[in-house]
Amino acid sequence: MHKYELVVILQADLEEAVLDAAVENIETLIKSNEGEITKIDRWGKRKLAYPINKTNEGYYFYVEFDYKPEEVANLKRTMGFNEQVLRSSVIRVD
Amino acid sequence: MTENKSYDRSDRGDDRRERGGNRGNNNRRFVSRPKFCQFCSDPKIAIDYKNVDLLSRLINETGKIRPRRQTGTCAKHQREVATAIKNARHIALLPFEGDFWADNN
Repeated sequence: MHKYELVVILQADLEEAVLDAAVENIETLIKSNEGEITKIDRWGKRKLAYPINKTNEGYYFYVEFDYKPEEVANLKRTMGFNEQVLRSSVIRVD
Repeated sequence: MTENKSYDRSDRGDDRRERGGNRGNNNRRFVSRPKFCQFCSDPKIAIDYKNVDLLSRLINETGKIRPRRQTGTCAKHQREVATAIKNARHIALLPFEGDFWADNN
């Protein structure tokens, strides 16, 4: 288990309920692979420094968690399948 | 702040003409810079890709990473700064190129 930080950018034009569901989805995804979430932070809507998929705004969402290193690639992959996710990054902290 | 020390220039020719190509003169014409690393002198400053305020000071207006000679950062911390900026670029906190927060959509 190692410590990781995940930042996800969701589409900003989604409704509140959809956003909440998307965030929850990601949380359960981490937990289902024996991940342990230590901190969750919603940065909310932010302007992007450059357009992604022709949008200038994104909903930022940050998770700190412990995870198995061999599962991280999988996590990144599933994140890419989600169409609500504009961009995501997993960074190892320790 | 360019503090022009008065060097003895009597042995040189036209000073102006030499300025362009002639390096290695001991006359400095560039902006004074910090002579110590801000991260070494204050260990409390964490270099973090999420800290946009800090990192935006370490890029120039075209979005490039500013060199050590401008910011005074030591080699060790410059490496950390560079990766932090690159991480921040990936999640669109900092631009890859162009003006930061310029409202041109």
